[in-house]
Amino acid sequence: MLSSRGLPPLQAWKTEAMKQSSTSRVCRDNSFTSNQPQKARLRIVLFLLAIPLLLALSLLFGPSGIGLPDMNSPAGGAILSLRYSRLLMGMMTGAALSASGVVFQALLRNPLAEPYVLGVSGGAGLGATISILAGSSVILSLSLPVVAFVSAVLTLMVVYGIARQGSSGQPSVYSLILSGVIVSSICSSIIMFMVSTASVEGLHNVIWWMLGSLQPVSTGQQLLSLGLIVSALFGIWLLSPRLNALALGREMAHYQGVHADLIIVSGLLCATLLAATAVSLSGMIGFVGLIVPHVMRALFGPDNRRLVPLSALGGGTFLVLCDAVARTIMAPVEIPVGVVTALAGGPFFLIILQHRMKQAWIA
Amino acid sequence: MSENALTFDNVSAGYKERVVLDGVSFAIAEGEFVSLIGPNGCGKSTLLKTAAALLKPLSGTVELFGQDVRHLKPAVRASLLGVVPQKIDSPMAFTVSQIVMNGRISSIGPWGSPSPLDHDIVERSMIYTDVSELRDRFFTELSGGEQQRVALAMVLAQEPKIIMLDESIAHLDINHRQEVLQILMNLNREKRMTILLVSHDLTLSAGISDRFLLMDKGALIKAGTPAEVLQADLLSRVYNCELRVQQDPYTGYLQVSGAQDTLRRRRKLGKTVHVIAGGGSGLELYRRLLIEGYEVTTGVLNRLDSDAEAARALNIRAVLEQPFSPVGSDAISEASTMIDAADYVILSSVPFGSGNLVNLRLAEGALNNGKTVLLASDIAGRDYTEGKAALALSKRMLSAGAVNWQTIPELMSMLQQHHTLNP
Repeated sequence: MLSSRGLPPLQAWKTEAMKQSSTSRVCRDNSFTSNQPQKARLRIVLFLLAIPLLLALSLLFGPSGIGLPDMNSPAGGAILSLRYSRLLMGMMTGAALSASGVVFQALLRNPLAEPYVLGVSGGAGLGATISILAGSSVILSLSLPVVAFVSAVLTLMVVYGIARQGSSGQPSVYSLILSGVIVSSICSSIIMFMVSTASVEGLHNVIWWMLGSLQPVSTGQQLLSLGLIVSALFGIWLLSPRLNALALGREMAHYQGVHADLIIVSGLLCATLLAATAVSLSGMIGFVGLIVPHVMRALFGPDNRRLVPLSALGGGTFLVLCDAVARTIMAPVEIPVGVVTALAGGPFFLIILQHRMKQAWIA
Repeated sequence: MSENALTFDNVSAGYKERVVLDGVSFAIAEGEFVSLIGPNGCGKSTLLKTAAALLKPLSGTVELFGQDVRHLKPAVRASLLGVVPQKIDSPMAFTVSQIVMNGRISSIGPWGSPSPLDHDIVERSMIYTDVSELRDRFFTELSGGEQQRVALAMVLAQEPKIIMLDESIAHLDINHRQEVLQILMNLNREKRMTILLVSHDLTLSAGISDRFLLMDKGALIKAGTPAEVLQADLLSRVYNCELRVQQDPYTGYLQVSGAQDTLRRRRKLGKTVHVIAGGGSGLELYRRLLIEGYEVTTGVLNRLDSDAEAARALNIRAVLEQPFSPVGSDAISEASTMIDAADYVILSSVPFGSGNLVNLRLAEGALNNGKTVLLASDIAGRDYTEGKAALALSKRMLSAGAVNWQTIPELMSMLQQHHTLNP
C-alpha cells in the first residue's frame, strides 16, 4: 500500500491538516485571493459561457452589413454559410496558433517563445510559398499543410542544430530563441526574394496568402487541417500534465519520472504541426500565438491541463472576432485580419497583462 | 543482510570532453544515512545525476536496488529514487500545491487526473515539511528556504525509497534546518528510507550520518564511519586548508572547524615573504600568503609572465625583467635588496632554465645571509639547465639548512610554527 511507505499514516495528520488549512485561510491576506481555486473555477465557467455568445455575435458581421442577412433570399443563405466557413477557419487557425504558443512557452520556460520566434512559422511559410509558386492549385490545396509541416520541422531541426553547437548536451533556451529569430528572418528574406521575382499570376496568390486572411480554402483542405489540428490538440492535451512537470526544468522532470526528452520532442512536433497547419490555412497571422497564451495564463493560471483547451478556445474565438471586425469595418474592402489582431487586441491584452501578469509569469 | 539501495561499480561519468567522475565504486545499504562530502567542484552533483540516470555513465554500472538504472522505466525509477536538487525554479506562476502535485506525476497515468489518494499524499507531504500554509502562494515568491521545503515536499510526495539531497539544506534557517534533518532522520529510522545527503556542514552531518563518503577531484577518497573519514590531516589535504576535528565533550559528536588561530590571523603579521616563482607556479602561493596576512614580494619575473600579471593584479611588489630575456644585473641587485628586506624566501615549483637560474643563486645568497629559505620539493623533475645546475644548487642549499616543502597547507603551517618560535 502506498501510504504504508514513506510517511506516517494519514489519519494522524488529518486533524492537524484541517486545523492548519482553516487558520491559513484566515491569515491569508487579500493579495493572494487571485490564486484561490474557487475563483478560478468561476472564471472558467464564465469564459466558457461567453464563447458561444461571442461566436454567434461574429455571425452578425459582414461586408453586407451588420445583422443577420435576409434568409429568404438565396444570397442571404450564401452569405451566412460564408460567414460560417470563416468562423470555422478562424476557430481552427486561432486554436492552432494559441495552443502551439502555450506548448512552446511551457517547453522553453520562456515568455517570448512562440511559433514565429522559433522560426517554425517562417519555415512553414517558406515551404508554403514555394509550393504555391510552383504547384497547380488543385493538388496544392491538399499538399499545402503537409509541405508546410515538413518545412517547419526541417526549420526547427536547423534551429535546434545551430543552438546546440557549443553547448554540452541540451541547447540553452537563449541560444534556441536567438537562432530561431535569425533563421526566421532568413526564411522571410527568402520569401521576399521569391515574391519579388515571381511571375504575375503566382504573385497574387502568394501576396494574398502572406497577408493572412480567413478566406475559406477548399473543403478538402479544411477537413484535412481540421483532422491535423484536432489530433495535435489531443496529443498536447495528453502531454499537458507532463508539461507542468517540465515547468521546473528538464532535470527536475526527469527526477520525477517523466521521460523528459520524449515529452519535449513530442511537444515540439505537435506544436509545430499546429503552427504549420495554421500557416497553411490562413497565412502569416502574427500575435495570436504569443499573446493569447499569456492572457489565458494570466486569467486561469499556468496549469497546462486547463491552459491547453482554454487557449485553443480563447485563441479561436479571438481570431473569429477579429475577422468579423476586419471584414466589416471598411466594407466592402477587407483589411488583413493580422492588422486587427495587433491593433485591437494589443491594447486590450496589455491592460489585462498589466493587472494580472503576476498570475502568469514571475520575472 | 540488507539489500543495497545504490551501487556504483567502477563508474566514470562526465560531460562532452570532460570526465568528472573517475572510476567511482561504492555501495549504500538500504536504510543507511550517508553524507557525501568534498570540496566544491569535486563531482558530488555529477555523482547524483549519474545515480538518477540523468547522465549516462561513460563506463561502469549504477544500480538502484539491484537494477541497472539505465534500464529502469522513468516511473519505476521515480518510485525508487527522489532527488532534491540544489535549487529549483519555475518561471511560471505555479502555486505551492501545484508544485508539490508534480511529485505524483509518474503515478498518474497518461489519461487520469490525481486521485484522492494522490491528494492525500500531497497533503501529508506538505504538512510534514511545514508548507501547507503556503499552499496557495506562488512558488516563485517564496524565500529560498521555503522553496527548499516545498521541493522536499514534492520529492516526499513521490514516496521514494531513497532520497538524495544536493546541498538542499544550505538555505534553510536554523529552525527549519533542524526540522528538515529531523524529518530525514525520522524517515530513515522509522521507514528505513535511505538518505544520501550532499553536505558542506561536516559537523552537522557527523551527528546524523551512519557513514561518510569523501570525494576529491572526481574520485572517492575514503568511505567509512564519521570517525574514520573525519580525520584532520585527510580533510586538510582534501579541502586544502587547515582543519581541526574535535569531539564534543558533551554529545560525543565530532566537530570540524577551521583552525581557530588561522581565522584570527586576519591582521597583518608584520612578516615579509619573498616568493621566487614564474610560469603560474606562484599564483596559489601569493593568494594564500596574502590571505594569511603576510607581506609578499616577488621576483625576478619576466614581464608578461602569468605570475607577473598576477603580482600586478594583487598589488605585490615585484622585480621585473624584459620578456624572454635573461635576468640583467639591475634586476639582480634590485631583487637582492628585496630579499634582504624579507623574513622568508619561498621557491615555488617553477621550472629552472639558464634564464632564471640566477633566482636560485639569489636564494642561496639569502640562505648564506641567515634567511629561512623554503624550497618546493622535486626540483629534479623541472631542472632544464645544462648539467643539472639547479639540482646541484638546491642540494647544496638543503645541506646548508634550506627546508623542503610539499603542499601549500604544509608550507603555511611551517611558516606559522617558525614565526611563533621566532617572533
